[in-house]
This record gives sequence, structure tokens and C-alpha cells, in this order.
Amino acid sequence: MQKSKIKNQNNRIELDHGGGGYKSWELLRDIRGILRLKGKWKNCEDDAAIFNLEKQKLVFTTDAFIVDPIFFPGGDIGKIAICGTINDLAVMGARPLGISLSMIIEEGFPKADLMKIIESIDAVSRQAGIPVVTGDTKVTEKGKIDKIEITTAGVGLAKKIISNNGINPGDLIITSGDLGEHAAALLSKRFNYKTRVKSDSKPLNEELEKVGKYLNACKDPTRGGLAANLVEMAEKSKVKVVLDEKILPYKKEIIAISELLGIDIFSLASEGRFIAAVSPKKVKKVLQILRKYNNPPTGGAKIIGRAERGRGVFLKTSLGSLRPIEMPKGKLIPRIC
Amino acid sequence: MNKSIQNIIKKIDILSEKIGRRINLMEVCGTHTQAVARYGIRELMPKNIRLTSGPGCPVCVTSQEDIDMIVNLALAGIPVATYGDMMRVPGVYGSLDQAREKGAKVFTVYSVEEALVLQKKYPDLVFFGLGFETTAAMTAYAVKKGLTVFSVHKLFIPAMKALLKLGELKIDGFINPGHVSTIIGVKPYTDIKAPQVITGFIAEDILIGIYMLLRQLAENRAEVENEYLRSVRQEGNPAALKSIFEVFDVEDGNWRGFGVIPKSGLEIKNKFKNQNAKIKYKKILDKIDFSKSKKTTACKCGEIIRGLKEPRECPLFKKLCTPEYPVGPCMVSVEGACNVEYRYNQNAKIKNQKSK
Repeated sequence: MQKSKIKNQNNRIELDHGGGGYKSWELLRDIRGILRLKGKWKNCEDDAAIFNLEKQKLVFTTDAFIVDPIFFPGGDIGKIAICGTINDLAVMGARPLGISLSMIIEEGFPKADLMKIIESIDAVSRQAGIPVVTGDTKVTEKGKIDKIEITTAGVGLAKKIISNNGINPGDLIITSGDLGEHAAALLSKRFNYKTRVKSDSKPLNEELEKVGKYLNACKDPTRGGLAANLVEMAEKSKVKVVLDEKILPYKKEIIAISELLGIDIFSLASEGRFIAAVSPKKVKKVLQILRKYNNPPTGGAKIIGRAERGRGVFLKTSLGSLRPIEMPKGKLIPRIC
Repeated sequence: MNKSIQNIIKKIDILSEKIGRRINLMEVCGTHTQAVARYGIRELMPKNIRLTSGPGCPVCVTSQEDIDMIVNLALAGIPVATYGDMMRVPGVYGSLDQAREKGAKVFTVYSVEEALVLQKKYPDLVFFGLGFETTAAMTAYAVKKGLTVFSVHKLFIPAMKALLKLGELKIDGFINPGHVSTIIGVKPYTDIKAPQVITGFIAEDILIGIYMLLRQLAENRAEVENEYLRSVRQEGNPAALKSIFEVFDVEDGNWRGFGVIPKSGLEIKNKFKNQNAKIKYKKILDKIDFSKSKKTTACKCGEIIRGLKEPRECPLFKKLCTPEYPVGPCMVSVEGACNVEYRYNQNAKIKNQKSK
């Protein structure tokens, strides 16, 4: 009886299949099981695929965006849609060339809101110097989708790919700034909390162009936050990572919001930060450069832990115990007790 | 390790050695379950102290029959809203998530405020109200604003008394729930005849709480002490309590793992009967076949909620039952003992297995 129950659950797509955790991985595996043709593309299971040109590599990525609410402190769906794709290219070490923008809009959506979204896409595009070069628009009957859905894709060129599996034992783990502010801003908006927290979304291409050559591995901790992304990096790199509770990259407000709601802080997403592995010799230089882009008070770049031989990601707690940090399962859920 | 913490642990070691025998301490709050695992507090305990989780996870103690009822309402076309964790608890007729996949209007809300907003769009919306005094106060507020509710809210104290009365496990002391106590205050615990300490949720709070419990045991006292002074007042939160009892009557409550506990449930008062989903949709609810709800499975949630079994002692744990494919609510809820054990304690063996 139990077995049949589990089978039943596999018959339909669940919200968790889009949650970025284990079920997303299962679904991707099933899709990839059918879409087997890869041609000369490499890295097809990852955030961005790679095509070898003569002297450089072409990097290609795409991302779909739904967000509730669509306007939030520090940004909107348009801003994260363009930042997301720019950043997926940038963390691979690619210089983004151009972005595509496709939108599915619900009938009746206010034109002024749409223009506001387009303007924030334009602002990022200009700031990053990366044009939106092609796109498509569809409108669905009212009620068929929730307000607006945006899909962006982007291509870039890289001389050297920064992988997400290149952490070496002995490397230091850094963040480009404090984490979790994007998710915390959305949560505080949903709960009507009066906070000063703003989404951290921004394009990362410029800072990564400056420090990319010094990084052994890099990833942006979007969906699933530090937990999901660092666990994935450590797993793929076959190393153990130990973080120190005393130097975690979270601001007081973010810690307060996460504790108030009972949501695991390590799962909170950022949309304008990256985590990276750097050898101890180069770390000072990298941090120095990054601090120009992520100055305190916005929370500067810093070392948050160290890679060792072994497996898994652990947090050294204030009690001295090591506790494992797990891949988040499913969606973020506030406490009820 | 921080010096003050080292000191507390040393004191715990000395006292537990002095007491000598096996000591069962129970925390009864989902947030404590998580905190104990998060800080690795079990690993710091002397051998003769067993820290167990009780019925503190609201999703876990919600009965199968209540879940079957709300899922049936959703499948009958009534829009339903509730808190995230509840969505995935499987019942005989599936979970609320599965009802939504089949086309039912089911919504996850983060707060009753969101349910009130949804109600404007879906006037027939039913809010599945669960939780102890903490969330009951919020539901009471929403009922006054016109929300229709299917209440499975529960009072905390009767469950603690029921546990002691059952006597299946000798409980030497309770770590009382910090959030619930913020609402109900200190006094309601006084007629429970066991050592109790109300504590907060950081490592120091819990360790000091354990130390205070051991001190009571060593001195042969059984009273309620309040460690969480920065949040819990003697009288609790009178405004919240007033609001709860303006909207709810105390009736018998149906608990998973316990069955019916007298005077442990919160039911909507007659005054608001038009907003009581159990009355409003009686016709749909009366048709449900509950014979299957009572069928037993290998899931040990009931025993785990009563502190009799550790998650690892359940034959389904990590095999047929995982957070991705949960069989019982203790694996669904992030406050459930099984889910917490799965997330924070991947490689541990059963500690103190030979207890009882």
C-alpha cells in the first residue's frame, strides 16, 4: 500500500519539482533521459551550456521567472529576470553579449506596470552594458496565468570557464557580499513587515570580469540559497566545506526575519551575490577588488569558511559541534509553533 | 566554545551524575525540536539524559479524519487555504497538494492576512486553521474580520496532561514551549505535576532550561520555572487570550497519536456559526467514508508524537518515508521529529535506543 502511494505521487508535477531541491533534480534527470542529443555542447546538465569556439567558448543559458509579489522592495520581476541571466553567464566566467526577453502576460494586466517592468530591465541593461536583442510577447486569457511570466536567455563569450566543481581542499570560501536579502525582502513584503531590507538583485558581470581569473569555483546562490548551492558545489568538487557560525554572511535584519518566521536562513536566495572558492594566496586581492562593488554598509565580500578533504557542508556552531547543512527540500515554510 | 555555555554543560554533567538514574526530558514545541537538532544539543548531553520530542508540531498532531475532511471539501470545489506544511500531509483521499494538482482551488498562505485577501476573490474560501494558542489568536482575529474557518486548533496543556496520564513513558521534566507560553503565560502550567521550564530557542536557553530541570529533580521539586523572561510574562498576552475566547469555545479535540482528548480543541462559537465550515458544509462532510481513515499503516507518527519512539525506530524512516515522499506528517512538517532528524542528523545512530 505504501509503495502505491509513492507511485501516485510521481504521476503529476508538484510544486516541489520546481523548488530547486532533490525533486527538481529528479525531474531534470527524466527530461534529460529523453533529450539525449547534445551535439558539440558541453555542460548541458548545468545552469549554462558551453560550445567550444576556436579561441573562446560560447556560453548559453536561459531562465524562466515567476515571482509573487511582482514588485518588491529593491526591484521587480523584470530586474531579476535580466540580472538572473546575466549572472548565470557571469559566474561561468563569460562576458555576456546579448539577452533575449520573452513574456507571457495575463489579459487585463496594467500597461503602466508592464512599462515599469520594461524600464527596470532597461536600467539593468544599460548599467551592465548588455543589450536586450530579441524577444517575444504572448497574451493569455485572464486567469490562465498569474499576471506575468518572463523568460530570458543569454549568450556570452568566455576565455576560461569558471566551473562550479573546482573547489580544492585548502581553498577559502568567500561571498561577494551579505546573503539572503532578496528572499528576505520578498518575505517581509508578504508579511507586511516594516523593514529597510531591499532585494540585493543586481548584475554581477563587472565584478566577475575583474576577479574571475582568481576564482577556482563560483556560483550565484539564487534559489535554495547558500545551502543548496554550496552543497552542490562541494558535492561536485568532492570536498568538505566547513563554515563558521561566527562569521556568517547575514545581516542582523535578515537573521531577525528568518528567526521570526522560523525559516532556515541558509535557504534564503540572493539575486546579486556569488559564492566562490579562492586559494588562500589570492584571497586578499579578490576581497579587496570585490569590496569596491559591495561596500559595507551593503555588506562587504568576506571569507565564510574553508574547504577540506572529505565530503559534505558543515557549520561549526557556537557550541563547537559540527552540524550538517542540507540541500533544502521543497519550498520555504514559516513556522506555526 | 563559549565559556558560559561550557559552564552550563559542566553543571549539567555534575547534576546528572548526582541524580544517577535515567532521565527523560521532553520538549513539546516544533521550534524546540528544530533548535535541539540544529545546535546538536543531544550530542552534548550526558549518557543518562534522553531528550525526546513530544506533541509540539501542529501539523503532526492534526488527525487523519480532519485532513480527510478538508481534502474532501477541496475536492468538492470549495476553495481552501492553509499553512504550507499542511499541504503535503497525505490522507486517505490524498493531500491538499494532490487535490490542487487535480484542479481543486487550494492555496498556501503565510498568514491569515493573506487568507483574508484571498477571500475577496473567492468568497466561499475556507481557512484550515491549525496550531496551538499562537496561531489560534491570529485565526480569531481573522474570524472577527469575516473569514470562514475549519478549526482544528488545539490547546496545549491538555495534551501534556494526557501524556502524563497515559503513563507510557516516564517523563521526568518538560521543556515548555516558548511561543505558546508567550500567549498563555506561566499560570496554566501550574496544575501539571511535573518539573517544567519555559525556555527560549537559542542554545543557551535550552541548555539553561535543561540545567533548571535537573536542579528541580535533584531538589525534589516539581514546578514551573520561566527561563524565557524576555518574552514570556506571568499572565501571558491577555489581549490575545481574550480574542481567542471571544471566537472559540473549548471542546474535545481529536489528536493524531492520542485520539480524542477532552477539552483540548478550539471550536468556533455559535455566534460565528455562519463562518464555521463544519456547519456550513455539513452535507459534504457527512458523506465522507471514514472507515479507511482508521486503517493502520507501518507509520509510527503516533508513537513518535507521544515520545515513545525515535524517528529512526520507525521501519519506514529514510526507506519508504523521506521529506520528498513523506508517508506521515512527522516527515512532512519542518517542525516534525522525523523531518528534523532526517535533515540534521543524517549519519547518527539511534542514541539511547535501549531506553524505556
